[in-house]
Amino acid sequence: MSSLQKQPLIKVSNINKMFGSKHALNNVSFEINKGAPVALVGPNGAGKTTLFSILCGYIQQTSGDVSIMGHKPGSAATFGSLAALPQDAQLDPRFSIAHQLKFYGQLQGFNSKKSKYEAERTLDLVGLKEVLNEKPGALSHGMRKRVTIAQALIGEPKIVMLDEATAGLDPLHARQIRELVASLSSETTFILSSHDLSELERLCEQVLYLENGVLREHQTLTNEADLSYITLRMANAIPEFEQKLKAISQITQVTNTQDKEYLISIEPQENDLPIDIQILQLCHDNNWQYKQMINGKTLENQLFS
Amino acid sequence: MLSAQHLQSSFWRIWALIKFELIRLFFTKRGMLAVLAFATAWFIILYYPVNSAVSIVSSENFKDMAKQMFGVLGLSELLNWPVSELSLYWLIAIYSFPIFAVIASSDQTCADRTRGTLRFISLRASRNEILFGRFLGQVMIISALILVTLLATMIMAIWRDASLFVPALTKSLYLFKELFIAVLPFIALMAFFNSFLKSAKLTAVITMLFFGLGSIFIAILEYQIPAATHLNYVLPGVQLDDVVGQQGLGLSHYIIPLVQTSAYLALASIFMKRSAL
Repeated sequence: MSSLQKQPLIKVSNINKMFGSKHALNNVSFEINKGAPVALVGPNGAGKTTLFSILCGYIQQTSGDVSIMGHKPGSAATFGSLAALPQDAQLDPRFSIAHQLKFYGQLQGFNSKKSKYEAERTLDLVGLKEVLNEKPGALSHGMRKRVTIAQALIGEPKIVMLDEATAGLDPLHARQIRELVASLSSETTFILSSHDLSELERLCEQVLYLENGVLREHQTLTNEADLSYITLRMANAIPEFEQKLKAISQITQVTNTQDKEYLISIEPQENDLPIDIQILQLCHDNNWQYKQMINGKTLENQLFS
Repeated sequence: MLSAQHLQSSFWRIWALIKFELIRLFFTKRGMLAVLAFATAWFIILYYPVNSAVSIVSSENFKDMAKQMFGVLGLSELLNWPVSELSLYWLIAIYSFPIFAVIASSDQTCADRTRGTLRFISLRASRNEILFGRFLGQVMIISALILVTLLATMIMAIWRDASLFVPALTKSLYLFKELFIAVLPFIALMAFFNSFLKSAKLTAVITMLFFGLGSIFIAILEYQIPAATHLNYVLPGVQLDDVVGQQGLGLSHYIIPLVQTSAYLALASIFMKRSAL
């Protein structure tokens, strides 16, 4: 029992995937354990969808090993335990949403009554209970996407992989999906692929950063690692800002990471006023408006600066 | 080793896939249109040639001519059947049902693969379960349609002469078995093409080329190498011309389609396992 509990949910060892001469994944290895959502990030063509597809068993790796809860991807043991929102996958336009979700529930072993309940429950989770008897063609792009997220939640699977779940959703519904992921993440381990780094930053504790098929970063977003940085976003551009900040003794470096955003490196000193208070005091004294102060680096700065 | 529980779960999933296929044909607009077209075609067949079968066959002039002609074609046995409606039904059904099976089962997995729907399903059922579920669903659909047409023909015969009930029933059951076995390799061939082709239209085109160019290619090869005649066994329906006369039927006439079915399903399974979803 204890060995089963210790076993990682996903274990990827030295996988490679070739498409002709293109090396889509190059010697990628990582482990994912039960817990907070995991972010999978990287530029277009980095290999994120390829990695998703291998984990779901849609395609096979050229070499290396993948284990999902100790089983091969696509094996019967993972049915009902691993679910996904694959990129660009569509439901059958000829059947109602209810019929298709019930069918998926039945494939997961539920009887007719339970699969109907699951269809209603999951649609309710994504705020679409009213479209139960509609066909996919009657829904907007965003609604269809939320329905496909609902299918991934049938039967409360242990792992849910969402590829670009909020892409194409309006801000309100994107937020709803983020809240849903956060609320379910105590029971389900989510793996999220997205280009919206602030979204991933809010939700995820672990980040897999892929670039040209290579896993560049495999890190945990913990507070400890962030103690020596503060990110400050100002309302206006201030010419003498960097110079004045550097005058504070605890600040070792100020980097203008992007327009009106500064990454401040600090070296805490015990006897001084806390650094965040000192920075706020500086802003107040000079009548500078700031927009946001973040303890640590943003995910974007962690990955790209 | 597969445990009993695994097998039970697997059967459950295959049954869910079969049910979905049945609903696709009988309860969706497109499916019902296909059934309506099928029913119309068979209404014409039953109303004209089959309904007139008795008068045609009982006419002395026709009998003489038919005996000569059917004798040449090896079909004279059919004239001895007590239910003439079933003779004509058989002549039409043995060639039309394989063609209908090809058309009806040309989209088993390809549209779902192209749309991405197969990705949702493959997280809940193995590729073999999807393949066999869809195949068996199509087999059940074609079987149901064969049964309906046989029933209609039987009713016509009994309507004419109630004493034909027993011979019509026994012959119908026999013909059902014959037709059922005849259509299997055609549906399996479609399952095979579906394992790597991306649309039903492309599957239909490839099927036409397979039968058309395949026969020509084998004929040319046979001319050069006589042993190449065995390649004909690759083509589903190779035994139909022998089966249609219902004379001197051996076990091989059943084994050929059953082996073809198994071979195409095995190939489809290999292709399905390797294909990207």
